[in-house]
This record gives sequence, structure tokens and C-alpha cells, in this order.
Amino acid sequence: MRSAFELDNVTKKFGNATALDGVTLSIPERAIVGLIGRNGSGKTTLLHHVVGLQLPTSGRCTTLGRPTEMLGSEELSRIGVVWQEGRFLDWMSVDQHIRYVSSFYEGWDVVREQSLVTRLELDRKAKVGALSPGNAQKLGIVLAVCHHPKLLLLDEPMSALDPISREHVLAFLLELLHEDGATTVISSHVMRDIESIVEWIICLDRGRVTVDSPLDTPQDRYNEWVVTSEQPIATDFEEPWVLSQRTNEHKAHLLVRDAADRVEWFETKYHVDVQSQPMNLERIFPLLHQHNA
Amino acid sequence: MVVVIDPHSGVPVFRQLRDQIRFQIVSGMLATGEELPSTRALSAELGLNPMTISKAYSRLEMEGLLEKRPGLCLVVRELDPEDIDTRRVAQFRDSAKPVAAVARQLGLPREEAMRIFAEMLDGNSRGKREERG
Repeated sequence: MRSAFELDNVTKKFGNATALDGVTLSIPERAIVGLIGRNGSGKTTLLHHVVGLQLPTSGRCTTLGRPTEMLGSEELSRIGVVWQEGRFLDWMSVDQHIRYVSSFYEGWDVVREQSLVTRLELDRKAKVGALSPGNAQKLGIVLAVCHHPKLLLLDEPMSALDPISREHVLAFLLELLHEDGATTVISSHVMRDIESIVEWIICLDRGRVTVDSPLDTPQDRYNEWVVTSEQPIATDFEEPWVLSQRTNEHKAHLLVRDAADRVEWFETKYHVDVQSQPMNLERIFPLLHQHNA
Repeated sequence: MVVVIDPHSGVPVFRQLRDQIRFQIVSGMLATGEELPSTRALSAELGLNPMTISKAYSRLEMEGLLEKRPGLCLVVRELDPEDIDTRRVAQFRDSAKPVAAVARQLGLPREEAMRIFAEMLDGNSRGKREERG
């Protein structure tokens, strides 16, 4: 499968600070990828590298088949980006701003534009500078997708949206995948926003990739065990795959990794009952950082 | 076909989908030969990534519950009754396991637990009879 973009051992330093540290990634075409990480983990810097806004200190970036230092209008016109802090011309009206941006693209889709403006309930007459953060994000999304991008990068695109607008945006991203076959990368620290539509996640921690896998993989690997026993539970469980534990006399809560096949063995060894429960991304997230899975 | 997905439950979404469709096939809610919605239609309906849907479908195909028809639509395969019985038992076993664990944890005497369970099995059908009557 061809990749939409690749990073090959990319390191980026700003003075003494290392923003990206030996990042190697390959994002296949037509994937919806969640880029997750805490504030300052390097998500935005990574996206800057994908579009050539920043160049690596060492290593190589390739986007849509071209080294990013050589990206030209042919590639850039197939990319759409929504930055976390929208950069707009505040004195224009929403409509003027859309017309202005559309003038840069040959294939601007007015039908899509109209449908999105309606669905997201954007007021075309409103002054851009007076938009609420949520409405500014909606404008950013409209501006990024009406030229049918093949690669769409969204940096915290839904942080200011209400739940209904968020649903609209998520549904629209799926349409985009169907209609344009767009590869989409959504960065977020709010797992709930993206859990329903991403199929692949990349987790960054202090500039390093700690997870690069299908979303199902961490969900399969991490579980919470509720351990109960008629006898008092005396011991701390020493198994290395027990990541954390809270124990009182007859009950223990364990967070475990790769332990799906160990339930019966554990029950026999400690004379306990185990109920294994799933954990969602939000709860797994801290574990991905602590244990560099 | 009605399925309800909770993307935040922690259970991989393709598995929720697979389990619910499997349940509907084994219980007969989805009849032999019945056509499943296309990946794209279901993706739009549930707001899920199409890859997730095709993953669930392909697992069910591998399990022998679904088959591709010419024109590439997926339909419920004809299963032999013995196979259905085996699956029904396995399904019930999975669902009953946590209930048994709770009974043990509560220290409920075996006879008491069995009596309650029997009562519930009867109670539901009796309720229905009364409704009808």
C-alpha cells in the first residue's frame, strides 16, 4: 500500500530542546489516524513537518511522494490543514474569507462548501474576528476541505466544538474518506473525540513515538481486573504484567497488560475470582506514557 | 439490522459489531439468506470507520456465518442445526459466566442461586402469558 506521508528517523531540535526524537512513521493512503499525546509532546511539530512548514534537523520527510523540502503547489493543493490556532483575516466576513481562500484553488467545490456551511450553522455575514472559538474552528474546517484534499491534517480540530457540531464534523470526515479517499490525521488529547472513527493511533511522548498500531491493539492489550477472594488478599501481586494495583482485604483492582490468557492461571495460583473488564482509550492513555508500550 | 455501538466502552468496536451480528444470526433474528447492509451504508449509519465494519464482516465470514454472493453483497449463510446449537450454548456460557462470578462473590448458596435463576426463566414466560391472557 502506498503511503500518504513518511518520516524516516526525523529529529527536530530547537536550541537544546528536542521536539521530535528519531521519529519513524509511514501513514498509508485512505487511513484515518489519531495522533495523540499530551500538550507539548510534539504533535503540532510533527504536522508542521508533514507539510514542510518546518524541516528536520536530521532524517527525512516525504509527503505525497515528495521530499518535504521540495513540496510545490501540485502537492500543497492536495493537502488540507486545520491548525489548532486558526490564522484568519479578522476583518473579513465569513463569506469574504471563504471566497478569498477559494480563489487559490482550481477545483473548489461550491456544493460541498454550501452544504458544510449549512450543516455547521455558520453565519456567512459574521465578522471573522468576532467568531467564537468554536465557530472559528468550523470556518477552519470549511476552508480546509472544499478543494477535495487527498491528505487532511487536523490539529485539535474539535476542542472548541459542542457535541452536536462534533458529530457533524465526524460524520463529514467519513464522507470525505468515501468521496475523496482522503488520508486523515487528527491530533487530539481528547480521546473521546476520535475514538469512533480512527482505525490507527500514533502516540507521541516527549517527541518519541510510543505507540504506532491499530486502535484495537491497545484496547486488546490493556484490561482492568477486579479480583475478589473469600480469603483476605495478603500479597502484592508481583507479576511484571500487573502495571498497578489497589488492594484491600477481599478485593483488588489491577491494571494489566497482555494478560487475557492468564486469567485462569491467576485464579488458580491465588485462589481468587477475576473479572476482566475492558478499558477505553482515555483510561489506557496514561499507561501508554508510563510504560512506553 | 439494529446494532448499538459504544465506541468508548473499551471493547474494540469491530468486536462489538461482530458479537452483536453473531448473536442475531445464532438467535435467528437475522434469517438465512438475509442481506447485510453494505460497509459504506453501515459506516454512515453508525458513524464508524468503514475499515472497522469490513473487519467485523470478514471475521464473521471466516467463522462461516456470512458468505459473499455474486455482486459482492454479504448474506447470512445456511447453518446446520447442530452448529447453531453449539454456538447457542457457547454464547450463553459466555453471558452466564459473570453472573456465576457475582453469585460466588456474594457467597450466595448454590441452591439459592439456582432457584433465583429458575424463577427468572419461568417468570419471564409467565409474565408474557399473563399479558396475552
